[in-house]
Amino acid sequence: MSLIWRRHRTWVVPTLFIAPSIILFGVVIVASSLQSVWISFHDWDGFGPMQWIGLGNYEELLGDPQFYVSLKNNLIWLIIFMLAPPLGLAIALLVNQQIRGMRIVKSLFFVPLVLASVAVGIVFTWVYTPQFGLLALAFSAFGQKAPALLSDEHLVTFAIVIAAIWPQIAFCMVLYLAGINSLSEDLIGAGRVDGARGWNMLYHVVLPQLTQVTFIAIAITAIGALRSFDMISVMTQGGPFGSSQVLAYQMYEQSIFSYRFGYGAAIATILFIIMLVFILWYLSRIIRAEEWSN
Amino acid sequence: MSETPRIQGATRRTVIKSIGAGAATMAFGGLARPAFAQSRTITIIFNSNTEGQIEALRAAIADFEQATGAKAELNLMDHEANKTAIRNYLVAGAPDICFWFSGNRMKAFVDRGLFDDISDLVADEGYADALGGTLSAVTVKSKQYGLPLAGTLWGNYYLKDVFDKHNLTPPTNWDELMAYNEAAKSAGITPLAFGSRELWPAAGFFDELNLRINGLDSHMALMDGKMSYLDPALTAVFDHWEELIKAGFFLENHTSYNWQEAAALLGQGKAGMMNLGNFLKDGLPAEAIPNLVFVPFPKIVDIPRYEDFSVDSVHIPANSKNKELAREYLKAFYAPKNLSAFFAPTGQIPPRNDLPPNTDPLVNQAVESLKTVAGTAQYYDRDTDPDMAQAGLNGFQEFMAKPERRQDILARLEKTRTRIFGPLDA
Amino acid sequence: MFPRPIPHTARGMRAIYMAMVIVILLIWLAPLFAIIMTSIRTSDDISMGNLWGWPTGFGLVENYVNVFTKTPMARYFVNSVVITIPSVIGVLILSTLAGYVLSRHKFRFSMLIFAIFIGGNFLPAQIMMIPVRDLMVQVGLYDTAWSLIIFHTAFQTGFATLFMRNFIAALPNELFEAAKAEGATSSQILMNVVVPLVRPALAALAILLFTFIWNDYFWAVVLTISDTVKPVTAGLANLRGEYVAAWNTISAATMIVAIPPVAMFFLMQRHFVAGLTMGAVKG
Repeated sequence: MSLIWRRHRTWVVPTLFIAPSIILFGVVIVASSLQSVWISFHDWDGFGPMQWIGLGNYEELLGDPQFYVSLKNNLIWLIIFMLAPPLGLAIALLVNQQIRGMRIVKSLFFVPLVLASVAVGIVFTWVYTPQFGLLALAFSAFGQKAPALLSDEHLVTFAIVIAAIWPQIAFCMVLYLAGINSLSEDLIGAGRVDGARGWNMLYHVVLPQLTQVTFIAIAITAIGALRSFDMISVMTQGGPFGSSQVLAYQMYEQSIFSYRFGYGAAIATILFIIMLVFILWYLSRIIRAEEWSN
Repeated sequence: MSETPRIQGATRRTVIKSIGAGAATMAFGGLARPAFAQSRTITIIFNSNTEGQIEALRAAIADFEQATGAKAELNLMDHEANKTAIRNYLVAGAPDICFWFSGNRMKAFVDRGLFDDISDLVADEGYADALGGTLSAVTVKSKQYGLPLAGTLWGNYYLKDVFDKHNLTPPTNWDELMAYNEAAKSAGITPLAFGSRELWPAAGFFDELNLRINGLDSHMALMDGKMSYLDPALTAVFDHWEELIKAGFFLENHTSYNWQEAAALLGQGKAGMMNLGNFLKDGLPAEAIPNLVFVPFPKIVDIPRYEDFSVDSVHIPANSKNKELAREYLKAFYAPKNLSAFFAPTGQIPPRNDLPPNTDPLVNQAVESLKTVAGTAQYYDRDTDPDMAQAGLNGFQEFMAKPERRQDILARLEKTRTRIFGPLDA
Repeated sequence: MFPRPIPHTARGMRAIYMAMVIVILLIWLAPLFAIIMTSIRTSDDISMGNLWGWPTGFGLVENYVNVFTKTPMARYFVNSVVITIPSVIGVLILSTLAGYVLSRHKFRFSMLIFAIFIGGNFLPAQIMMIPVRDLMVQVGLYDTAWSLIIFHTAFQTGFATLFMRNFIAALPNELFEAAKAEGATSSQILMNVVVPLVRPALAALAILLFTFIWNDYFWAVVLTISDTVKPVTAGLANLRGEYVAAWNTISAATMIVAIPPVAMFFLMQRHFVAGLTMGAVKG
């Protein structure tokens, strides 16, 4: 008995260690995700039996104007969110000075990052409130009337994205701060000897060393942009008339409000496929780096 | 092929169940609900936060606890959140008492077997005598699935002092409505306070116009999916609506306001009228309420008067684990004493005719007004299929903001209607 | 160092620079100041429309007391703690075990498992929403704290395993070789070598997880309904629907949701930043 145990424990014990994680993650996350794809081929109201309709949900989706509104908004999110890495870098460069009190300043710049997105959503709803909000106050200082951002179908998505990018900039700033603190002093010194300064230095000497950080910042920001849900739910519930919906929110609305779980699953599947591009890009680089280092 | 996911699903469930069960017995056992509590405690989910109503529910709980020796736990839920959550909790984790809306919205759950048949309770307690016609709102195939609560009568509301100050008169027909619009605007106030952020107030306005122009039968045909959204009969409805929109009748940027914020403008005297139900007064400061007056939506064509009169209701979910105790609670709650306390703060119209006479002038106005009504609908999102309603609410809000998109919106609604109810017989 | 440090001798320059940074910081945090200031206004000021002028009175105590006594916020707060703490502990245990195995044992598919853990963590929540909700309904955990604890534990295990694996992989190889040479088994190595050394990583991970789980809103909405279970984020969104015009109450409630992660962050700032950068960059 103990012989068998001794012979096998080299693999049995590690297997037991990793099994709970694999089972839990596999059952709750991976299997659920796959099951959604399966549900997307059905007509299902969440109560009764599922009815197989093949690609019916996807065909309907292609003819659904709301789908294109959501898709367009996802694209707006993605594009504007790409400002987060450069702005994060800018703030990181700004505060990367050793002056008394700079440490606490740095921490205060981080704060949006740890706020709950619901809190950020409410904070910005308050800022945007017509007549009373901070924005209205700022406009009235110039004798202007602030636009009602959250009820204008053309502006609403931009207004939400600006709120959402706030913590995202802080996140990129944290990444870049770590990055610029591990820059090679030799290369910078050499650059200075060659007379590189300011933009030149940043562009030719600093940024090339930050490629890895930049890649991570862009990948995570892109994924974050596509996952957006909380802010929309809190600030507009997708309105006015669906104009601020993104795929994630449309999926939620179709499933929970209209009770169309099959259709919702189809929207989720499309979102999943779009995100897969970024996830695989991220994974491939990480794994390549991993194999290279081994 | 179709077997695979089911098996997979079953295994996943078993795994989680054992994880859950194992975990529950571990150190954090305090999280699991104690077993004994299930048998002698009922849970109630109430969908409002009106303080006086909560007190009335608590009073009924005290009566119930005294009568039965059992306990009752009251859960409060936001009115809007409840609309979403009820679909989950009726299936899983049902409370013993829940609050909902009678009519079609109730029937949707009755059809799915999610509300308990309480005809026995209705018969034993003789509620039919006290309720009269209102009982039909909770009856499906001559069985009762809930008890009716207060009714909400839709219409226009204004503050007497504001009208007096600007020398305005409440409009009773279309011409007067347009004249009122001009008068209000030249007095520098918004003719109609309106908040469509939460979508449904726009549907209420659609109901008003459609009931005034096409009448109840046509309206109900549309609600039941038996009439096209492209039907020429609706043209007049949207023409009138568009006329009001273009005349600047509605509050500017109404899509960024919810009804409470819009009602606040009414209370501040910045708007003349508001189109809503009698719960409108919750959005007004206490000192404004005595001035609040109800007036029916103006007449447009010469047909009998039909109104939206939505009746809320209280139910025992079919998945309740304590149906007997739940009935005891309903009895205590439905007793005239507790019921009239429950309605006192809302200004709604009580269902029982044996309650003490109401002291709220607004309620009495509505009761009087109801006597001249030829028939009632419930409300757009209560009368039609929920899936259709979601599309309709969005469409009406969009129309109010962008009337030039009328044809696109109606074509979209018709597409949704066809998907849900099927094509119409030619 | 880049940008070039402003020399210590340039006192005036340093002062001007600092002043500029502070101005930018004030603009950066203006939305937050707006909500803090609103949270100390009196209801009278709010209903009078005096939102930015000098307050006629201070409602600080009153507003925060109101949030705790007149709204179920206190209950939501307890619920959040009850959900967050066990989830964090669960993830820490699972990810230490899995991270150790993935970093120190060579076996087939280890890279695949690793990739799934990372990839799964970036999935949109909506792709799992319907089945996870359905699963919790089936096993009777829907609308209990357990549904959120189990979900968060499962989901965060992906990220945390990546994190722990990288940390353990970076530990000096000699320690493991020496332990093996002495005949230590896997579990002995885990207890005597790994656990003592990963404490800083666990601290960093714990604060990150606390923030992620505390701030979750989507799953709170999908998996809970009752006030007795609902965490602060979903509760806050609920209050927002009810106290529409009472911006002082809403603001105070928002602060109550925001304060625990912010406090945690300031208490364990070093760990937080180290954790975030390590989790993302080294991956």
